[in-house]
Amino acid sequence: MTPPRRVPIALPDPGTTWAILSLWYVRPGDRVFAGDRVAEVLIPGATVDVPAPVTGTLAERMVHPNDPVTAGQVLGVVEEEGESKG
Amino acid sequence: MTASDLTHSVPSAPCRGLRAYLLGQFGFDALIGLQRRLVYEVAGEPNTGAVIVCDHPSGITVGREGSRIHVRPGPEELRIRGWSVRWVSRGSGVLLHLPGQVACYPVISLAQAGLTPARYVAELEAVVVELLREFDLRAEPDPATPGVRIGSRRVAHIGVAIRGGVSCFGLILNVDPDLEPFRDIHCDGDPMPMTSIQRETPGRARVAAVRQQLVSLIAGRFAFDRISLFHTPPGPSLRPPFPPGSSGGGWKHAAPTRTR
Repeated sequence: MTPPRRVPIALPDPGTTWAILSLWYVRPGDRVFAGDRVAEVLIPGATVDVPAPVTGTLAERMVHPNDPVTAGQVLGVVEEEGESKG
Repeated sequence: MTASDLTHSVPSAPCRGLRAYLLGQFGFDALIGLQRRLVYEVAGEPNTGAVIVCDHPSGITVGREGSRIHVRPGPEELRIRGWSVRWVSRGSGVLLHLPGQVACYPVISLAQAGLTPARYVAELEAVVVELLREFDLRAEPDPATPGVRIGSRRVAHIGVAIRGGVSCFGLILNVDPDLEPFRDIHCDGDPMPMTSIQRETPGRARVAAVRQQLVSLIAGRFAFDRISLFHTPPGPSLRPPFPPGSSGGGWKHAAPTRTR
């Protein structure tokens, strides 16, 4: 097994300077699949889902609900599943 | 299911087709299910899009920016009026849904359209402003809360959700609703009275005409070159699990899904 790679969950550009983290859909330790929505960000008039960048386990949440967030900010970290070598 | 093409595709350019569902009164439970399905389909084929145009039974939805404090009637009063309160995962705040409004929910890939979420919200506001211009009404996007105002009164609200890069929910436009009930509901937290197209124009504002105009404007603004119109929601599945007439199968309805 290769050691797990820590992959940041970066916020895609919402197109506005005002944005807050609305909620997390997953908790640390939860397994996530690439593309799963893991968090929701709120901008004026819209909620925007944030997808998991890779399949693995949510290792860390770095922002909390109602925290302001900006484009590119790291919201959390996913530990990517290591590939087993046969 | 009936469908008709309104415009011709451009032969040399990739065809972008918009499915427009003009559904009349459509319940919120059904809307949530249909939106989920269309988002899934558009995510798989981002060159396509859909738009649901309908109105809802009287009731209240509360978006992520809303609060129960914006709904003045208590639970008993709401029950007497028959207004359900539903919390939904869209942007914006409290909205009161009444007959005489038009709800327009585009389902499009933002990446395909080259839009950020904030730009998409602004484009929806521009759609409403353009539509109202056809009624000789001067309207402006609301600088405080996404929506459109005529003078000091709001005529439309914007509240969307972006899931997997695909939009859902959308805009609510007052065509000719009874404006009196809005006194009890501060839509998007705004205590100012609402207005409607009918209130602002000397002529007759027809809901059916507004629906058609919205579809055309959505198609134009988001660069769809072909519109297919439907007057019923899609069936339970696009492909039957077994050919019609064969044994051992038939149409199967998907299990009801939890709304959020």
